[in-house]
Amino acid sequence: MTTQRRAMYLVGLAMVATLVGACSMSTSDTGTPRAAMAEPGGGNDWTTYHGTYESWHYSPLTQINADNVKRLRVAWVHHPGRSTRGLQSMPLVSNGVLYYTGSYSRVWAIDAATGTPLWSYFPKLNDDLVAAQTHSPYTRGIALGHGKVFVGTVDGRLIAIDQKTGQPAWDTKLINSEKLTVGFTGAPLLVKDKVIIGAQGGEWPGRGPIFGVDAASGRKAWEFITVAGTDEAMKTWGGDSWRTGGGGGWMAGGYDAETNTVWWGTGNPAPLYDWAGSDWKTAGPRPGDNLYTTSVIALDPDTGKLKFYHQELPHDAWDFDSAVGEFVMIDRGGQKLVVHPNKGGHVFVYNRADAKIVNVWPLVQNINFVKGIDPKTGALIGRRDMALGKHTNLCPAIAGGMSWNSGAYSPKTGLYYKIGQEWCMDLEVVKTTPVLEPQAQLNIGANFTLRNPEGGKAFGHVSGRDPVTGQKKWEVKFTEPPLASLLATGGNLVFVPDARGWLHAYNAETGQELWSHNNGLGHNGGIISYSAKGKQYIAVATGWGSLVGDEFGALFGEPFKSMPKDAGALVVFTLE
Amino acid sequence: MGRILALAIVLTLAATVAHGQDRPPTPAATPGADPLIGQQIFTNLCGFCHQDGGRVAGRGPRLAGTDRPDEYILNRIRVGKEGAMPAYGRAFSDVQLRSLIAYIRGLKDEGR
Repeated sequence: MTTQRRAMYLVGLAMVATLVGACSMSTSDTGTPRAAMAEPGGGNDWTTYHGTYESWHYSPLTQINADNVKRLRVAWVHHPGRSTRGLQSMPLVSNGVLYYTGSYSRVWAIDAATGTPLWSYFPKLNDDLVAAQTHSPYTRGIALGHGKVFVGTVDGRLIAIDQKTGQPAWDTKLINSEKLTVGFTGAPLLVKDKVIIGAQGGEWPGRGPIFGVDAASGRKAWEFITVAGTDEAMKTWGGDSWRTGGGGGWMAGGYDAETNTVWWGTGNPAPLYDWAGSDWKTAGPRPGDNLYTTSVIALDPDTGKLKFYHQELPHDAWDFDSAVGEFVMIDRGGQKLVVHPNKGGHVFVYNRADAKIVNVWPLVQNINFVKGIDPKTGALIGRRDMALGKHTNLCPAIAGGMSWNSGAYSPKTGLYYKIGQEWCMDLEVVKTTPVLEPQAQLNIGANFTLRNPEGGKAFGHVSGRDPVTGQKKWEVKFTEPPLASLLATGGNLVFVPDARGWLHAYNAETGQELWSHNNGLGHNGGIISYSAKGKQYIAVATGWGSLVGDEFGALFGEPFKSMPKDAGALVVFTLE
Repeated sequence: MGRILALAIVLTLAATVAHGQDRPPTPAATPGADPLIGQQIFTNLCGFCHQDGGRVAGRGPRLAGTDRPDEYILNRIRVGKEGAMPAYGRAFSDVQLRSLIAYIRGLKDEGR
């Protein structure tokens, strides 16, 4: 071996050793979710927003189960303070440490068994900007991996924090929030070496970007623009409406590792309501289909290139985002599928290879913005496009038939558990001054009032259904829609944190209630299960005050009329 | 003493006028304030929370028939309320703010 060859050999050996070291770090020391995520449920940990890349919100743990859940008691509580608009986040757990974020992107690392804080990180935000934002100052979650905790901020930054020390590793400004007012409220998704996060958009006149950021350096690797981000999409926006089209991708998506595809849901177009009515293809403030708003898009996580998409609601005229809703990945009868709920109240079932429609089924009863959606093609049937003037009893209301909180899927029961919201609204569509440039203003286009559905009261429900056909096995009704995420477990349980503050445990097969506990504040965030030092825990965020929850006082009265909107706590349970 | 005080007031007023939008709002009618302009702004922004154009309570309170003085409402629009209402001080001109007041004052209080 020549000296030169020997040097190259040693360099190569060093690189291999480094890679091996990095890989072992990524699965043990730092809790990088790569390996854990490949296994449904992720074992003892909960390392990504939706539980796993398959987005099941399912823990395989069985220590707490249908037989002993009655013995569930509070183990510890953590108060984050400054819970403006409640506590909306999903905790994560890795190797016995629980990480979570409160309002203003304040992050904690806590001993998952004892509740003892290990470190905290409070980023300094632009207070003037935070005060000017409508959808603020909550943060719905974080991502973990490569020895870091990743969190977005409402002033347009993505921050990496050292997982062990709590010290910032990098802090990257991704959006000019000072101009556009929007920032990040959703959780990032870590895929290999990229941290993926989507901006707010929707009613804000911008172009709603989704970013891929290098996890090691914080350098922006790519940006996908959800409004007219390709030549094809540009043709679907009349005039200059693409400049202010809204969109965005404000909730975390899912990842199909087999095909290296990220699935992400996009926000609605702006203005929300379109005075052109049925002439929307050629007239109004945003003529055309308005790609890629209210769509599910499949991106290459390495490049941000669009692979394929399906627009769930072409020219969405009702504010029924596709940004809400998890991407539940299941295999059924030899088919690889993705199940995705849309805010309008329908659940879309896609082929995972190309987003071709397999089925579409309604989860809520009160839907009249369309007469139906073709279950074979996904085409809207009998659109209700509302021209200038007054309209009554549009269902669902702007708050949606489903909201951003996630449902759960149990591989044991084969059932998909999901909240449905039954409410409607009256509205008056107004021809407002066109918004021609991105700016710090909402762009709504109508006055509206939430109301009860005809012939009954507004209410909510949680049901257990076949995720592909929608066939209902059981349903529990609630006097008000729950607004928190659900959790299914290997112990044959489904946990439902409700709006009044009660946490319920149901038999996952039958819907029979087995246990409940009053946390004293409405739930509007996440719930997970994990194991630490041999014990299984259930952790749930309490704290009320989101944009949907803020409607409850006027619609339902007490306890919501007087429920605090600046309080919250993380409550953690285990068996006594 | 009185002259000095008067001079100070004049200078303060001159300084605030020179700062354009930072000028404290005055109850006097602002040239160009128009309830129709106010309605347009209200529909696109404020109606997201103050339902039915401000006639009924929703996320935000009912504004029709409010007994809050103009200065209170103007201040609330400018600086907002943490966790409940955004601060629109940098988004609107004085004419737009006054137009919003004119729109709100024109709402019929139907007691809903």
